Amino acid sequence: MSTVQAQPAPLAEEAPVSLWRDAWYRLKRNRLAIFGLCVIVLLAFVALFGPYLTPYDFLSQDLEARNQAPSLAHLFGTDDLGRDVFSRVVYGTRTAFLVAVVVTAIAIVIGTVLGAVAGFFGNPFDRVIMWLTDVTMSVPNLLLVVVINASLKTPIAQWMEARYLETLNPFYRETVWIDFLLVFGSMALISWPPYARLVRAQVLSIRSRPYITAAQALGLSNRIILTRYVIPNALGPLIVAVSAGLGTAMVLESAFSFLGVGVNPPTPSWGNMISDGLRVWQHYPHLLAAPAAVLGLASVAFSFLGDGLNDALNPRGAK
Amino acid sequence: MLRYVATRFAIWIPSVLLVMMAVYALAFYGAGDPIKLIFLRAPGDVAYNPERIEAIRESAGLNRPFIEQFGYYVWNLIQGDFGNSLTSGRSVWAMVKAAAPVSFKLALCAIVLTALVAIPLGMIAALNQNRRLDYIILGSALFLWAIPAYVAGPLLMVGLIVLLPGVNVPYGWGGVFDIRILLPLIVLSFQPIALIIRQTRAAVIEVLSEDFVRTARAKGVPEIVVALKHILRPVLTPVVTQLGLIMITIVNGAIFVELVFGLPGLGRLTVKALTNSDYPVILAITLIGSFLVMISNLLVDILYPLLDPRATDAKRSR
Amino acid sequence: MTRRNDLGSAMTGMSRREALKLGLGASVALTIAGMNARIVLAQEGQVLKVANPAFNQDWSPLRGGGVPYRWNSVWWASPMYFDSEGKIHPYVFTSWESSEGDKVWTFKIDPKAAFSDGSKITAEDVKGSWNVSAMPNTKNQRADQVLSKVAGFAEVSGGSAKELSGIATPDEGTVVVTLSEADPIFFMRLANHIAPITKAEQSRGEDGEEIADWYTPDSGAVYSGPFKLTAIDIDAGTLTFEPNENFFGPKPKLARIEISSIEDNVTATSLLKSGEFNAHTELVTSTIVQDLGPDFASGPIIPTSQHFWFNTARKPMDDPKVREALIRAVDRDGLMKASFPDGPHKKTDQILNSVPGADNSGFEPYPYDPEGAKKLLAESSYGGPEKLPKLLFVGVSGPAIEAAAQFIAEQWRQNLGISAVDMKPQQDAYAGPDQNAVQIFRDDVGTRVPDAVSYLQGSIASTSSNAQNKLGGYKNDKVDSLLKDASTKAADDPQRVALAQEAQKAFRDDWAFIPWYAQAMSRWATAEVKGIDKNLDWQVAKPWEISVG
Repeated sequence: MSTVQAQPAPLAEEAPVSLWRDAWYRLKRNRLAIFGLCVIVLLAFVALFGPYLTPYDFLSQDLEARNQAPSLAHLFGTDDLGRDVFSRVVYGTRTAFLVAVVVTAIAIVIGTVLGAVAGFFGNPFDRVIMWLTDVTMSVPNLLLVVVINASLKTPIAQWMEARYLETLNPFYRETVWIDFLLVFGSMALISWPPYARLVRAQVLSIRSRPYITAAQALGLSNRIILTRYVIPNALGPLIVAVSAGLGTAMVLESAFSFLGVGVNPPTPSWGNMISDGLRVWQHYPHLLAAPAAVLGLASVAFSFLGDGLNDALNPRGAK
Repeated sequence: MLRYVATRFAIWIPSVLLVMMAVYALAFYGAGDPIKLIFLRAPGDVAYNPERIEAIRESAGLNRPFIEQFGYYVWNLIQGDFGNSLTSGRSVWAMVKAAAPVSFKLALCAIVLTALVAIPLGMIAALNQNRRLDYIILGSALFLWAIPAYVAGPLLMVGLIVLLPGVNVPYGWGGVFDIRILLPLIVLSFQPIALIIRQTRAAVIEVLSEDFVRTARAKGVPEIVVALKHILRPVLTPVVTQLGLIMITIVNGAIFVELVFGLPGLGRLTVKALTNSDYPVILAITLIGSFLVMISNLLVDILYPLLDPRATDAKRSR
Repeated sequence: MTRRNDLGSAMTGMSRREALKLGLGASVALTIAGMNARIVLAQEGQVLKVANPAFNQDWSPLRGGGVPYRWNSVWWASPMYFDSEGKIHPYVFTSWESSEGDKVWTFKIDPKAAFSDGSKITAEDVKGSWNVSAMPNTKNQRADQVLSKVAGFAEVSGGSAKELSGIATPDEGTVVVTLSEADPIFFMRLANHIAPITKAEQSRGEDGEEIADWYTPDSGAVYSGPFKLTAIDIDAGTLTFEPNENFFGPKPKLARIEISSIEDNVTATSLLKSGEFNAHTELVTSTIVQDLGPDFASGPIIPTSQHFWFNTARKPMDDPKVREALIRAVDRDGLMKASFPDGPHKKTDQILNSVPGADNSGFEPYPYDPEGAKKLLAESSYGGPEKLPKLLFVGVSGPAIEAAAQFIAEQWRQNLGISAVDMKPQQDAYAGPDQNAVQIFRDDVGTRVPDAVSYLQGSIASTSSNAQNKLGGYKNDKVDSLLKDASTKAADDPQRVALAQEAQKAFRDDWAFIPWYAQAMSRWATAEVKGIDKNLDWQVAKPWEISVG
């Protein structure tokens, strides 16, 4: 957790450091949050190194061992093509983290920049950006993602293929980029508004505080005030939102894969494993239970951590 | 007030037109032609006859330039004509009119159920902060939050059949007072309930530390009276502000719930229209979805000052 | 403190346990009431309760496809029909004969043939039904299969005429059809429900177009089949059919047919298991045999087969050596085991099946030969797996197809080292001549006529939609000329079959598809349902014989 402690000091050296230290101290006492944190660290480890450690290749099939129940040889059993479900869940963890991080990162960058600008500079920026927020939020996100997915995937795939045939660079042949960057990028494009609103509200409340007024009186430029004082102070609530956002993005990924617009087979993702498992779960419950349990665990872990962070960074609510 | 509502409306119209144009353009240029899809989607021995398909597209007006088509659509829309589905030929208005009440009733019931279950539970959790009951409630809420509707739905349904062999499969739509609404309603309310429990709990904890509550407690006012009289109102404020978010959660969740439980609502219509790239239906749904979110945001803005008079100026200024 | 706890537990206790009890009590009471109600209903007679997998918004019998099509024979009569063994029977038409070298066909209408209001089925009704089916805006998906050789079809279908010039009605009971080219098996092409016989004045408006919603009871529609539609609620997805008292064929055994839309297959399966439903329109799940027994999905093998087609216009499929390598690298016994280990479909090596000439076709099955495949790929212009562009499969929808496609991909990975493979559920955006971004299409081909020539003309002739769209504009002059020759031979001429077999062999040498399975036309009905055998037109062959008991 040294990264949290090493956050840049927003204003005075003393107070903020103790704020973060304080928060960390409170977080440590919250057992649920620490549980969440441990689960997330574990899953992140699995996502990074898991695929190299599994006993089986997540793609290799064994038609003699189809739909086997969990055993010592196959911890989570095997699926309809005799593939090891454990290895697939492990690889799916990588998919899930990649999606969650990509979506949340893009959404946060867009949201923070727009929210900070809107809150700090006020009208007319504020009005335009808030209008944009409303417009984006007023569309059912599923609809937008499916439409974007359906319409942009083919041209981009064609473009990538043309590049590949020209350059023979295997980068252009990777399926993953199209699925991830396009589908989940489009997911990010519509999930920034909450972040923008949050940052804007924070900035508005911080802007009226005496130290900002003082900084303005001292003649510091807007950019310095914004990047050095305003954004770092809005960071607390943002961290809470990010923790929740990562969990939500994972669930969203599985939802889209469930509807058939997310990650395509044979790449495993928790979502497409769940949707396959749902078809046969009365006969082979392990095919549903394994990915659903891991998805639930990850989502719960992010919830716990987000909740704990909220209490820790917002001490007024606690005790 | 009336003028405020009218202004909001006036701002909404260009936004929704922009969104509709974007959706139309994406579907039009990328997602495949709805007439060709009818023929390509059918298996095997279908007769894909290019001249015939061109003739159909021409009479449906699909071979005109995009801007002309969109303008024509908007012109008809102004006159109250939603057009006909390109796939089935049915009037879009008839399709929406049949589907929307199902979704609205379900959503309304879900909101009521959420409020009835989540606010008391959230308060109980807060009043027992950091005790076992609190952990149980909060833990269950987080658990509910983590289960996607498309997993919960089938599991509950088949679980019910396995546990109670005599019970009919709760499938289909019979209205709000039909027993079959129970399961979809419960599944649909999972996430909003979890959300509101957490919101309420946080708000109550905050209020409990306020002076006037401490004073009331010190005076020996019964706990339940304190809870209802002094806490409920401030607690409702954040809950009401979440209405928009709840609405979005429900609208999105409804797609899965309607698919799993076979409810003939808007969510199912959306999925169908998208797979067939049936522009008129997609646009009508975009319009309705956008309208719903706008209305619930408007409601929030109107209700908010009533609940929290301090906020009037700050909120209105935007 | 204690009081607060009491309050808390009392409230949770109430909201959880009591509510649960109340809810359960209510649901049990309602269920019992519901079951009683059903028992009363069941005494009225035999009811076929069908679960339909989609909320179809359009039940017009003139579409020639889609889910509703599969119930056409229940409420509409066709000129003739095939039984489940592929034998042709008279229906509205009692006799047919050709003249002028199979270019002119004369059909006689059964004098007893009548609609559900008792009015006679006339030659004008037949003519009007065919005209409206040929109109482009009717969007009939398969009208070409029935009518494409009738003189004047191209004009009507292309939107420049409204009447098929080749149909004459010398009297009320006679239809004379003039073809634009000789066709010895034209009569067989009529024996299906692609263009069923409707009352022309009801289905066709003054402008020649189909009238919207003409087939509903509200429009006062009359029906030619053994049952008539008595109620339809498109929004709720329910339809009710009752016997047609004026039906000119055998008296139907059922008292009613009820169709309800159940989209989710798992739910539909439990409804079928619990006995609430006894039939399904089309239920494909990987556990269907375990769930509902082997008989539920059994049925005759029909002339329809499912394959993976290579888009020969697309890189790397433009190199025949790559195609051959890809085919030789796949163990097709394993493919069947991965997708349909318990049936009901049968593995096939070729396109033709269940038509005369399929069994002794002389088609040498593609071998499973990983070593040879590797060598071929190395010899190809791409030189090896690294240089191949990504291989995109489309039409990969549903569990069995997903399993099959993933099995093929894994075979290529193991045997050839190909790792860049992608799969998409829909064909839509990728298919068609203008949007060819795909290497492999999964789709079926088939025929509604038990005839090898028409089977191949619909799948590998350069004029077929399959060759143009899925095989990437495939054209083999030898195949085309053999099929053209064959199509002029009489149905019972051995040359007809022999030439078709030659054409299929010529196609084999182009290495353009991975053969998968021959389709069984499942009955999709529980054991208590009898007489629901289906035919190569995907219809219940004799709907009047369906009984539940």
